[in-house]
Amino acid sequence: MALDYEVPQDKRLLYWLGDKLIDYRHPVSVVVLLVTAVFAYWGFQLHLVTSFGDLLPQDHPYVKIHNKYSGTFGGANNINIMIQVKEGSIFTVETLNKIWKMTEGLDKVYGVNHNQIDSIAHRTVRYLKVAAGGTMRAQPVMLEPVKTPEEAANIRRIVHNAENIYGLLVSLDDKAALIRANFIEGRLDYQRIFTEVNENVVDPFKDANTEVFVAGEPRLYGWVYHYAGDVFFILVITYCIEWVLRWMYFHDWRGALRPTITGLIAAFWGLGFIYLIGLALDPLMLVMPFLITARAVSHAIQMHDRYYEEFEKSGWHKRRAIVAAFAELFVPTLSGITTDAFGVLVILLVPVVMLQKLAITASWWILAITISEMLLNPIVYYYLKPPEPELVVMRERGTFRQWINRFVGVLLTSTGKTITVAAWIVATLIALYFVRDLTIGDPTSASPLLWADSPYNVSHKAIQDKFGGVEPLIVVDEGYDKDAMKDPGALHSMEKLQRYLERDQSIGYSLSLADIIRAVDSVFHELEPKWGVIPDDWVSVGGLFFIYFSGSPPTETAKYVTPDYTTSHVTFFCKDHKGENIRRIIKETKEFISNSEINELGVTLDFSQEGQVAVKSVLPEPIWEKAGPSWVVGSQASGDAPFKAGDHIVKVGKLDVKNEQEFRTALMERADNSTLLDFRVERGGEAMDTTVGAPWKAVFKLAGGLIGTLAAANEELVRNDALMNFLGFFTMYMIMLFTYRSFAAGVYLLAPLALSNVMVNAYMAANHIGVNIHTLPLVTVGLGFGIDYGLYIVSRTIEEIRVRGDLEDSVREALETSGKAVTFTAVTMVISTVFWMSSNIRFNAEMGLLLAIWMAISYVGSQTLTPVLIVLFRPRFIMKEANRAPAMTSMAPQRAAR
Amino acid sequence: MKLGLWNSVAIVLGFSFLVVFLDEYIVKPWRHKKWERKAASGDKEAERLLKMARSAKVSDE
Repeated sequence: MALDYEVPQDKRLLYWLGDKLIDYRHPVSVVVLLVTAVFAYWGFQLHLVTSFGDLLPQDHPYVKIHNKYSGTFGGANNINIMIQVKEGSIFTVETLNKIWKMTEGLDKVYGVNHNQIDSIAHRTVRYLKVAAGGTMRAQPVMLEPVKTPEEAANIRRIVHNAENIYGLLVSLDDKAALIRANFIEGRLDYQRIFTEVNENVVDPFKDANTEVFVAGEPRLYGWVYHYAGDVFFILVITYCIEWVLRWMYFHDWRGALRPTITGLIAAFWGLGFIYLIGLALDPLMLVMPFLITARAVSHAIQMHDRYYEEFEKSGWHKRRAIVAAFAELFVPTLSGITTDAFGVLVILLVPVVMLQKLAITASWWILAITISEMLLNPIVYYYLKPPEPELVVMRERGTFRQWINRFVGVLLTSTGKTITVAAWIVATLIALYFVRDLTIGDPTSASPLLWADSPYNVSHKAIQDKFGGVEPLIVVDEGYDKDAMKDPGALHSMEKLQRYLERDQSIGYSLSLADIIRAVDSVFHELEPKWGVIPDDWVSVGGLFFIYFSGSPPTETAKYVTPDYTTSHVTFFCKDHKGENIRRIIKETKEFISNSEINELGVTLDFSQEGQVAVKSVLPEPIWEKAGPSWVVGSQASGDAPFKAGDHIVKVGKLDVKNEQEFRTALMERADNSTLLDFRVERGGEAMDTTVGAPWKAVFKLAGGLIGTLAAANEELVRNDALMNFLGFFTMYMIMLFTYRSFAAGVYLLAPLALSNVMVNAYMAANHIGVNIHTLPLVTVGLGFGIDYGLYIVSRTIEEIRVRGDLEDSVREALETSGKAVTFTAVTMVISTVFWMSSNIRFNAEMGLLLAIWMAISYVGSQTLTPVLIVLFRPRFIMKEANRAPAMTSMAPQRAAR
Repeated sequence: MKLGLWNSVAIVLGFSFLVVFLDEYIVKPWRHKKWERKAASGDKEAERLLKMARSAKVSDE
């Protein structure tokens, strides 16, 4: 049947489009179904994969250093296995042989870096042995399995005398030993590593007296994958409950089916697209697809509700009802989808590949809802049998509708309006109080991905308690030239950095080349403590290194120092990875590096005067002499130096420096990249350029290991969080501007959303949920989704005021009709999202709860604050539509004229 | 029982068919009779609505 009845003139095109979709239903259905089938096929090819590199901001300087040295000095993917005995010590034949076999087993696990295994039973862990004739050699602690108690006692003696083993790989009470292995990032298969560690290293060695604990990032993700199957249980439960709720709400199974079709088609398109662009599903991001599908279902519920309403209004005319529902909801639905899709895209700002991929796929998935919800919607309705009039009539006057009517009646009284505004003000103030504690990074020492009593966190805590710290921060000491690490100054700098940072409460212990040289020097001098120092000349240092490393292949020594002795590292084992602790440790490290460099330049600086970096005094060391145009460290006093007391340093390299922060940053940046340091100095009112040869042989560079990479991710989040929030709101505001052609519309819709945002952040702060690369995308998606509810209410108010003329009357009608569907949608979404709380993955459970809270607050805002603000302030973009019912027009005469 | 992809699909499909069956053959007839009883018991509003709904001519086009 053609469009031969009157339709509102301003929506004539939309009515025509809806009508044409029904006319061409067969070809449209076939095309959509074929495309969906292809996407579905691709979707089923997807696997759960987490790419560690994708979680890192690859352009961040810390990550560049991490990538450069993780293959030799150790990366962020360490597994720590602690074997602990309840009675006695580990130095028995039985336990030492278990350690031997566990180390062998770990060496066989897929992806392990064979040269980066630390265990008293591994060839790379050595001690110095004095052999016949006074020669010394570094020999593995265990060369073979132990056979007698005497051999076990001998190993205990070796361990107790080795500074690089006792307390680090064997606990000080002799009850536990640590086996640590680093995994090659390109070969991280978390599921396989999890299984192989269980089969080869853990299960065969547990008994009544022996406990085995396993922690570390690959293990953590292994558990996450292990629990990922929970998602099926949650999806099945959610599906069944949602079906029942929709069935009860619509009084018809078709009401349950139709939103399912929308959700499924969008899901196939989304999943297929993820596969098409070469991505995979991350088990920690499974809440996201669920949430997007829930939004698709939500839009479909709105449409289905409107279809019922239009069915009665149109005199039980199915086709007219379908077309009217499509045309009348086209604008709010499309605005909602567009806002969600573009809102998510702001995540692209964060230079973390995983987040950027997620932004693109989520945005596409949301846009796919336009196909399933808008293009296919009239067609599906047309194929389905219309609802029975009895059902529509009775449902419209049912209990749920009566509750809504009663609530709206109370809300729009003077008291109701006052209470609403007052309640929102109070709630916002309380939220603002709590939101101050929101942290970037992880706020607890346990992994927030799993529950505190999960096997992983129990193991993690047991190892931390026994060994003080297991999460590595690698500070690389990069030499300018080969043999730089034989420079006693470089080794002293490492030692000073260790002593400086070890004062921090979050550092458990540290290890560097300086520790090795001191230990070797001590052994070389018959273990006399006074020789446990760094020699003060290159020749002695080189000799000691030769003694220690001469029996080891370069692949083994490379974990301490590069084969040409250019670069080494200081590794700090931290007690936790709390965001605030990481920030503090990194800040302290930078302070140390900068202070050392200033000190080695032989000056003290005065930063007290605003806008000036003044040279306070010149130290007697080092002695400077001119070498061509540059100053270099010399041996004979020339009586001159590149700096004089009273100089003002105005430029380092190409960067202007006006304060302490700028100077320190510029100096570190310059020193990182060049051995020549250019300064512009003002002396006696004249500016002069001076070039100084760096008086150090190597520079410390941040930072590798888990702590280094987390620091990089946290810094990127801090840098982009505010901008992302601003752009998210700005994008939504612009879409509101175009949708309603009003500058005020965005304010009315975004104000409740901003307040919801504050409240959700306050909830996160109060419940110790930090903003990290996992929580950020979900929080951003929630931001966009919150606006959908308001859109339906405002659009319906405008629609009603054109006919009714009275604002309050129109708002009431909007709340009683669209508001009813919004209420139902919100309730079902909150209920279904809450089921994520049953997940063994704490992250998914907390995100589910967080999103449920977010949707609940956004819903309450759209049903209370938005309408009350509209009634109180009578915005022009709504009032100008009063009594401007669109003229009716028919398409039929035009067709006849043609 | 640990749920995987295919047994999850089987459960949700089975559940959906169960709901359709319950709706068509049990709940709808029961609801219909309930309204009729309500109208017969002298509820004027229910009687009016039922009459209105029954007099409706549905255009399935």
